[in-house]
Amino acid sequence: MNSQQQGGPNAGGQQPSYVQPPREAMEYLCADCGAKNEIKPREPIRCRECGHRIMYKKRTKRSMCLRVYNNDESSLGIAVVQFEAR
Amino acid sequence: MAAASVDDSEWEELNRTNWKGLGLTDPIKNVEDKWLLLPAFLKVKGLVKQHIDSFNYFVDTDIKNIVKANNKVTSDVDPRFWLKYTDINVGFPDRDEDSAIDKRVTPNECRLRDITYAAPIIVTIQYTRGKNIVQRNVCLGRLPIMLRSSKCVLTGRTDDQLARMIECPLDPGGYFVVKGTEKVILVQEQLSKNRIIVETDTVKGIVQASCTSSTHGGLKSKTYVATKKGKIYLRHNSIHEDVPIVIALKALGIQSDKEILLLTAGTTEAYKETFATNLEDAAKLGIFTRQQALEYIGTRVKVNRRVMGPRRPAWEEALEALATIVLAHVPVNGLDFRSKAIFVATMTRRVLMAMDDEKMVDDRDYVGNKRLELAGQLLALLFEDLFKTYNSNLKIAIDKVLKKPSRTSEFDAFNTMRMQGDHLTSGFVRAISTGNWSLKRFKMERAGVTHVLSRLSFISALGMMTRISSQFEKTRKVSGPRALQPSQWGVLCPSDTPEGEACGLVKNLALMTHITTDVEEEPITRLAFMLGVEDISLTTGTEIYGPHTFVVNVNGTIVGLTKYPTRFVQQFRKLRRARRFSEFISIYINNHHRAVHIACDGGRICRPAIIVENGRPRVTSEHITLLKKGKATFDDFLQMGLVEYLDVNEENDTYIALYESDIVPTTTHLEIEPFTLLGAVAGLIPYPHHNQSPRNTYQCAMGKQAIGAIAYNQFNRIDTLLYLSVYPQQPMVKTKTIELIGYDKLPAGQNATVAVMSYSGYDIEDALILNKASLDRGYGRCQVLRKNATLVRKYPNGTFDRLADAPLGEDGEVAKKYDIIQLDGLAGVGERVDPGDVYVNKQSPSNATDNTFTGQAASVPYRNTPLSYKSPVAGNIDKVLISDTDNDQTLIKVLIRQTRRPELGDKFSSRHGQKGVCGLIVNQEDLPFNDQGINPDTIMNPHGFPSRMTVGKMIELLAGKAGVLTGNLQYGTAFGGSKVEDMSRILVENGFSYAGKDMLTSGITGEPLEAYVYFGPIYYQKLKHMVMDKMHARARGPRATLTRQPTEGRSREGGLRLGEMERDCLIGYGATQLLLERLMISSDKFEVNACEECGLMGYNGWCTYCKSSKKMAQLTIPYAAKLLFQELMAMNVVPRLVLDDA
Repeated sequence: MNSQQQGGPNAGGQQPSYVQPPREAMEYLCADCGAKNEIKPREPIRCRECGHRIMYKKRTKRSMCLRVYNNDESSLGIAVVQFEAR
Repeated sequence: MAAASVDDSEWEELNRTNWKGLGLTDPIKNVEDKWLLLPAFLKVKGLVKQHIDSFNYFVDTDIKNIVKANNKVTSDVDPRFWLKYTDINVGFPDRDEDSAIDKRVTPNECRLRDITYAAPIIVTIQYTRGKNIVQRNVCLGRLPIMLRSSKCVLTGRTDDQLARMIECPLDPGGYFVVKGTEKVILVQEQLSKNRIIVETDTVKGIVQASCTSSTHGGLKSKTYVATKKGKIYLRHNSIHEDVPIVIALKALGIQSDKEILLLTAGTTEAYKETFATNLEDAAKLGIFTRQQALEYIGTRVKVNRRVMGPRRPAWEEALEALATIVLAHVPVNGLDFRSKAIFVATMTRRVLMAMDDEKMVDDRDYVGNKRLELAGQLLALLFEDLFKTYNSNLKIAIDKVLKKPSRTSEFDAFNTMRMQGDHLTSGFVRAISTGNWSLKRFKMERAGVTHVLSRLSFISALGMMTRISSQFEKTRKVSGPRALQPSQWGVLCPSDTPEGEACGLVKNLALMTHITTDVEEEPITRLAFMLGVEDISLTTGTEIYGPHTFVVNVNGTIVGLTKYPTRFVQQFRKLRRARRFSEFISIYINNHHRAVHIACDGGRICRPAIIVENGRPRVTSEHITLLKKGKATFDDFLQMGLVEYLDVNEENDTYIALYESDIVPTTTHLEIEPFTLLGAVAGLIPYPHHNQSPRNTYQCAMGKQAIGAIAYNQFNRIDTLLYLSVYPQQPMVKTKTIELIGYDKLPAGQNATVAVMSYSGYDIEDALILNKASLDRGYGRCQVLRKNATLVRKYPNGTFDRLADAPLGEDGEVAKKYDIIQLDGLAGVGERVDPGDVYVNKQSPSNATDNTFTGQAASVPYRNTPLSYKSPVAGNIDKVLISDTDNDQTLIKVLIRQTRRPELGDKFSSRHGQKGVCGLIVNQEDLPFNDQGINPDTIMNPHGFPSRMTVGKMIELLAGKAGVLTGNLQYGTAFGGSKVEDMSRILVENGFSYAGKDMLTSGITGEPLEAYVYFGPIYYQKLKHMVMDKMHARARGPRATLTRQPTEGRSREGGLRLGEMERDCLIGYGATQLLLERLMISSDKFEVNACEECGLMGYNGWCTYCKSSKKMAQLTIPYAAKLLFQELMAMNVVPRLVLDDA
């Protein structure tokens, strides 16, 4: 598991020198003003717009793609399923 | 005849329209809508006014009194040094960090960040610095603030502003947010202080009058005047043995026997007879003078020897004890014991009265003899204790500095104060979050004072705020404290109490109940004197017990006499109605004791009533019109003397008409609305007056478990567990209470169309049949949101936790259980979490607790400490919150949501204590339908009705059906509501049967059903008990390490226990092989080697005791048995196995 330390920007624990070229930074939304923020490891969490201390993660952009075949079975349709009520 | 002509003219006179166009014979118009006073009352006071008022009183008044009483800190080292607290103020809640831009903090932020909603306590101090006197402001600590109190940022905000603060306008407040959890200080019920309570023990033949004294300063002591073998004694904890009453009175300065007799027995011959022996007794002991009496008592007083000072003579000890400890609440000015002597004499007289007539005892369970202790009083005690400790610590610290012979800089006490740490802050937080009020100083040791505010539903939160817990012992078999008291009428809800253990001991406040706070006593006493009361210290027994004389008591202390009690009370009440003093001061005449009691102490239970004068209520339709227009408030009504507060004692001195038509010339008050006798939770029940009373009690318990909307901010809350209804509906049949508390805005249930009939066999024992199509449309659908929180910590040795992204497996792919983890090591919001998935990939350093570690923090080895999803059913990540706590640890909260539709075994209930589980889900086409083709959502078995007698439910169906047909909501308010006759009329007008029964057609056969079926909407609640959370079975699974038996409980995937009783059955039946299998083979089978020679256990066919392998045998026993043998051996007991051929 320790081989997996080169985590994302927030994975924490490495010296800056070890860090791979930073991947796309994660963005968080301030609970108060809704501004986009980045969070750096071991730094106080604070909105740079309003100083609020609560952040929410943004909704994922990953979608579940299902292959749906149309009736003639030739054209391929893709349906994006975001919600799945059970 | 002349008489006839007179009669005629009289009639003419009577029939003349003389007053506002009305004649005397015209019917008197009733005050319409006087119930509107109730919303007006709730608007001023709110639903949890008791808590908030009590807290406000503490923060605004009491805290200042406490500081004033302990305002000086001096030094033993430097007599010139002093420090004085001149003022104390509690600020508004703010952030406890210097770098904050916006200092304001909202309760919701505190909830989310797991911090305390607290405000600084600022004191103004004056102290000597060198030769100067300096004045400064210091923060003593932080006080948790009650929500919606005068110090809360939410008070006086509009709904808009509240919404901006992410706070629900319907939330009642009255609780604290401590470390992110909402904590309520429950109302505590106690026997009233400083009042005489007379009791008898018929078995032992003892009569005793007791009085618990409690003064400001917290000292509590209980004094008894009790009989022992026909004689009367004074008993107190600080005196070794019982003091004969005459000696006690002599010591209190009443020397002559004649006077003692007059003050106790008065002129009543029977009392004199009984009391005479006591006088003889004192004479026999040779005690005649006060000095002798004091010497007698002095030798029996428990002396707490202080270190310094010479030994004092006995009589001085007695004097001190009598002045300060015995009946501490009765004031002794200088050495004037007169009032205390009279108090003791009164207690004696009450004993004599009870000895003579056993009906003259007091009722402990009478609500008027009780006081309710609220958050403010408990916090005041806590603050006093903490403040005193703080001051003594401060004094020690100051002494320590001043002791040093030379100082580099001038001594500034301000710095010492700042060094004191957060004693008060941590004290408050600890007490509220643990609920342990252990104040050694006040001999108080209470646990479970605070509770976590239950947010299962809006009603459960509200119900918790009105709950009263009793301090009485629970084990006693007496039914008295549990029984419903007639004096509870209108102030405590008769329905809302739990079943079982705490039945009747936990109560709930009624809708209009108010609990008083302390009011200054002195002006009231002065007022009494001004109204012609004679001072008690100027009177003797002849006057006190003379005919027509009434004793005047203020808060239980005797202050004077009056000859005209009725006039005095009338005048007093007039002044109160004119608002010359607090409206919460009560006065009443007790004719049994011939006393007038004035009470202004806190904790009395009271409620408002309309004043009736000359047979007319003071509130008229004009006033109500003003109220409707919003031109008058409840306070104006009080101000105008139209309504007044009555406490339970004063209620007994009034004649309250329930309805306006009941008013007779002697009536003094009119009830505002009878339905206010129920509490907030019982107020949800439609037509409760038609139900059998236990059913209402059951509903009160179940209403708190219903799933519905919790608050307007429910989607912004992250609670440990939150049940939400997806499509909540307000009930078709409402009550006025529902509108007042806002249940129509935050409902918990749905209007189900119910057919009361039998269907299949899956509806026996209250089971319900549900319509599958209704479930598809969302009936009973709910969401379960569960919080999962973790701290990404920094450790003292410099290491820290970290969040890692998903690890790659050997094939270079991310493992299934990590597939929702994003780059920051947290699951993506909206992703589905399957059982076993990791949603916070946290890693912790393996040497976090090693404080000797000094190396590079980043280079330490890490181990995985992930959060993984445990539930057997998949959920969705609803929210991921990242924040800091107040000690700068990163806090991560992940909210996981499950959406559930009703399934077999889920629990439902109507609002009439009729619960049932879903027994069968039926396709819509198989369900019966009526003429319009309407299917029921639910089928209820009619067997639920006859024995339960919930007629209210039937009327609810009728009213609901009428409401559906006309598009209106109907009312089922207690003692009122829509009338059955009207409902039937509406049904008939719409082409339905007046009885609410419909002709149904079977969905299976297509034939009409043979009977008409009672059919219509009933409000159904889904309760939080769902099969999914309870279902459990196990074939193989984990075992406990110690005993190797299967684990216990669903959460540990435990086995199902075959208990003693089941074992007995199997033994009785003789199923030995089954027993063997259940108790050993399927449980903790273990092979041991035992020696036939010595009977001890060996191993590998070798007996370590006999040093031989000759007689070893292998046998199978439960591992627990083997463990028992070994544990016995460890205790020097040798169990030997005697082996035999089976």
